[in-house]
Amino acid sequence: MPPRLLPSPWGREVNALAVGLALFAAGLAAVVLRGQLLAMLLGLELMIAGVSVILTYEAGVFGDPAGLAAVVLIIAIAAAEAVVGLCLILGLHRAGLGGRAGSLTELRE
Amino acid sequence: MREIFFYLAAAGAVFFSALMVFQRGLYSAAVCLLAALLQTAVLLYLAGSPLVGLLQVIICAGGVMVLVVVAIMSSSEPKAEPWARFGVPGLLAPGVVVLVLIELLLAVSGSSAPAGTAGAGLDARLGAVLFGPYAVATEAVAMLLFLAALAILMDEKGRTS
Repeated sequence: MPPRLLPSPWGREVNALAVGLALFAAGLAAVVLRGQLLAMLLGLELMIAGVSVILTYEAGVFGDPAGLAAVVLIIAIAAAEAVVGLCLILGLHRAGLGGRAGSLTELRE
Repeated sequence: MREIFFYLAAAGAVFFSALMVFQRGLYSAAVCLLAALLQTAVLLYLAGSPLVGLLQVIICAGGVMVLVVVAIMSSSEPKAEPWARFGVPGLLAPGVVVLVLIELLLAVSGSSAPAGTAGAGLDARLGAVLFGPYAVATEAVAMLLFLAALAILMDEKGRTS
């Protein structure tokens, strides 16, 4: 039985799950509400951090290292995604399209 | 002591992530994200996986944030949303990051062993899993990182030509 942090039915895993969900929700809010492309990318990083917290704690609960392997792979994918995303954003700036998602209307027209 | 660090890091992560959404400027949003990622690293360390916490600090809070700051410096900042009203003052931002780093160091040095729910055996078995049943996924992610590096090179080549 894993040790509990709170003297209540809520264990450390439930608290970590709540923290991870809160981080994911804040990142999702940044992606949905902010129109700046860089701010949306920051929100994506936050969502990935929330998922990492949940996966790590659940890997500890089930004693399964596959959860940690998933976290390591997700961190590597997040780094690649940030590199490609920032290259695209800088390319858009150089093309004079600005840094807002609303200015990208080429496929809509 | 472990519980104090857990709740401190959890509250800090949620606070800074919520603050990031309402930041007016991209620089202050990046500082808030950096603080939230460092708090997340504390949480990962306290979960009994110091290796993943270290990777979080090195890759996410280190490499990715450097890229983000360079991108912010290289581009003109677009107009923020009218409801994004907060802004971390320039002098306060380094203080916030230093405080979070001090908390990270205290959390790491305060406990002699990682306080894991399943012990430190998970990190030891991580390599066997990554290069055992998930070897194809590991190789695919390595190839993805290589392609991301190529994206930088192609971008630079296209810009110079």
